[in-house]
Amino acid sequence: MEACVTVEKECDKVLKKLASFSDLATSKLQTVVDEMTALKEEISAAPPGATISPVQAQSLRDLAKTVKEVAQGTSADHKDVHVVISKFGRAIDKNFQANINDLCVEGLLTTDENSRKLQKVLCEHLLREGKQEVSFCLMEEAGVSVDSDYMAQFSEMNRILEALRNRNLEPAIEWVEVHREELSSSGSTLEFKLHQLKLVSLLCSGRMSEAMAYARNMGRFTPTHTTEVKRLMGCFLFCRRGLECSPYSDLLDPGHWTDVADTFAKDACNLLGLSLESPLGVSLSTGCIALPQLLHLRSVMLQRQVSDIWNQDELACEVNLGWDRRYHSVFTCPILRQQTTDSNPPVRLRCGHSISKDAMKKLVTHSRRSLRRSLVCVMLAIKHSFTRTDFKHG
Amino acid sequence: VRFTTVNWQAELYIMSGTVLLKDEVTTLEHSTLKVPYEILNKKFRASQKALDRDLSHVTTATQELLSCAGKGEASAAEAASSLEGVVQKLLSLKRKAKECVDDELECARLCRVRIDHLKSYVSGEQTTGMKKAWRNERVNRMLVDHFLREGFYTSAVKLAHSSGVEDLVDIDIFLACQKVEEALRNHNTTPCLNWCYDNRSKLRRMKSMLEFEVRLQDFIELVRANKRIEAIKYARKHFTSSSDHPVKDIKSAMGLLAFSPTTTCKRYKRLFSESRWESLIAKFRRENFNLFQLSPQSVLSVTLQAGISALKTPQCYKPEEFNLQCPVCSKPFNELAHKLPFAHCSQSYLICAISGCPMNEHNPPMALPNGYVYGEQALKEMAAKNEGIVVCPRTKESFSFNEVKKVYVM
Repeated sequence: MEACVTVEKECDKVLKKLASFSDLATSKLQTVVDEMTALKEEISAAPPGATISPVQAQSLRDLAKTVKEVAQGTSADHKDVHVVISKFGRAIDKNFQANINDLCVEGLLTTDENSRKLQKVLCEHLLREGKQEVSFCLMEEAGVSVDSDYMAQFSEMNRILEALRNRNLEPAIEWVEVHREELSSSGSTLEFKLHQLKLVSLLCSGRMSEAMAYARNMGRFTPTHTTEVKRLMGCFLFCRRGLECSPYSDLLDPGHWTDVADTFAKDACNLLGLSLESPLGVSLSTGCIALPQLLHLRSVMLQRQVSDIWNQDELACEVNLGWDRRYHSVFTCPILRQQTTDSNPPVRLRCGHSISKDAMKKLVTHSRRSLRRSLVCVMLAIKHSFTRTDFKHG
Repeated sequence: VRFTTVNWQAELYIMSGTVLLKDEVTTLEHSTLKVPYEILNKKFRASQKALDRDLSHVTTATQELLSCAGKGEASAAEAASSLEGVVQKLLSLKRKAKECVDDELECARLCRVRIDHLKSYVSGEQTTGMKKAWRNERVNRMLVDHFLREGFYTSAVKLAHSSGVEDLVDIDIFLACQKVEEALRNHNTTPCLNWCYDNRSKLRRMKSMLEFEVRLQDFIELVRANKRIEAIKYARKHFTSSSDHPVKDIKSAMGLLAFSPTTTCKRYKRLFSESRWESLIAKFRRENFNLFQLSPQSVLSVTLQAGISALKTPQCYKPEEFNLQCPVCSKPFNELAHKLPFAHCSQSYLICAISGCPMNEHNPPMALPNGYVYGEQALKEMAAKNEGIVVCPRTKESFSFNEVKKVYVM
């Protein structure tokens, strides 16, 4: 924040200085011009063939001097403006990181193969975001192509999502009917939510008979959503009075519409084998969080003169991502502070504590004959009573 | 040499106090502000030159006036016309000053617009929704910038227009480049030479060899067209013996006069090669980046690499651990990430394979007798629906819930 405020201050100074220069220069020049024009009028008023008087000659000389001063002054004043301009430039350099180039592997994304892959990723991202025209243009310019299936799937999904945003449930219901089997096998609640919303909106608009007919559809949801179906039937009692004063008023919450859209997006992506969020979007937002931390690391390392961070096989510092960006289980040994691998798996001691196998081996060797103690509690642990644990996701 | 990561983490804590910790905006947005600043600087220098030119005109006219006044018996008509002369020059200076300052103000205002945009994100006044929208805009800005650098000008313009970020990206500079590049592709060096002339003072300060390379190519083309006399004249005019121009290259070029375009002699065949035009285009692009202090890799590239690396885990390369949501598991990123380092984790993050929920103090991890670990909540649910029996999703073995043991992970 201070960075932006500092730079903003300098920029304002530039704007101010430019404006004041403009006003001053214009007025000074105009004054001189007016004086000269006045003198010219006076001289021209004399009869033709006359000569100028000594007074006029003196005025001419004086004016000439003034003109020189003002004109040179204008140029010098303009030069002065450069002081604030360069101060502004220096403020930008001081407060913003100029060179982040070495925070990555050089030439990784510039090889032909990799740059084509990257361009394909960008095209797919644009399709996801609904920017079809730009995507086609990019495909042409970059000479890459994307699966036509992929494109078709996304355009259908975007179409249905658009309809849902406009509170039109029909396209979604059609889609759900086509994919009913796959959806139910994955335990999706989408169909029920759609029908529930439809029923509630019918009831709200007072179309009782239509709602009654529609309610017949809900029959097959009774085993899985008993309570909810009962509540929906209860809604019929309040149809005339309005659902707002019924105990079921929460069904009117507009949040249900966003919930349905989100559920649809999630289920559709699952079915199509696509990730919910654009991989490019997730990676970029992660990168935006990671870069400042890596930058910090680099500045620390430079002070200690160690070679670059990117040639190691693990990043040297932890990037704090929270739980949103965790897609795989990671187990870190609390003793050795290293991630476990296939050759160094996690093991569970009898006391229940889990450490890496290497750590356990170290504990064993350090107290061969004496009682092996767990790191945080005192307990017997015999060598063969550990079980290899697998924290796998999948 | 693999240094122990523990030490660096400790160092970071110690150094936090002394090293300035940067945030997203200050790390990524330098060029967003520097480029309009450089444009402002350039306009300023051009303005100063123009003003000085007009100033010299005024001085000349004033001299005339003085000489007229100094004469003994100057006629009124003469005096009047001298005066008029000076007035005209003064008015021209005034006009020029106003024009220049208006241009400069426009540049400075563009800077201000961008500063405001960046400030809005860090000011803490935005709602979550607004922040999300700002981040989306940032992605679009990065994309436009990347497209411009790669030469995909039409896509860049389209995207900038459709996402409304035109003020925040530097399309005009790159569109000027597009013209130069297209001309070079058609073997026309004039726009490029004009560009070099336009930016000559800065290029000279950067000790740029671009103009020489372009003139060299012109020379080669003259030789190729068999216009050797013209080629020699051209060389005399443009290749100086000063230290600016590499003597070795000039010597090779002169040697070219003795060979025909179809020569098989390796050194001279290289000089005649058509691929020199493509490398000229690449050189021009690089010089353009340098002019505006842009780094050779786009912000998108750098950010993407950092992001992929921070997400990369060894599990991403095990087919049985494939997670649809993980970007690095997806095919293109999987391949791109090969050469990047893995993420470093100093604590455990465990995810239950059944429910996808985190395993923490609210959902403690439980180990089945076969070694696989799942979250307590999911296992309890399974046992409740299944008369106290849990089935391992991976091996399909059944166990009683009583056999499941708690695991303590720190």
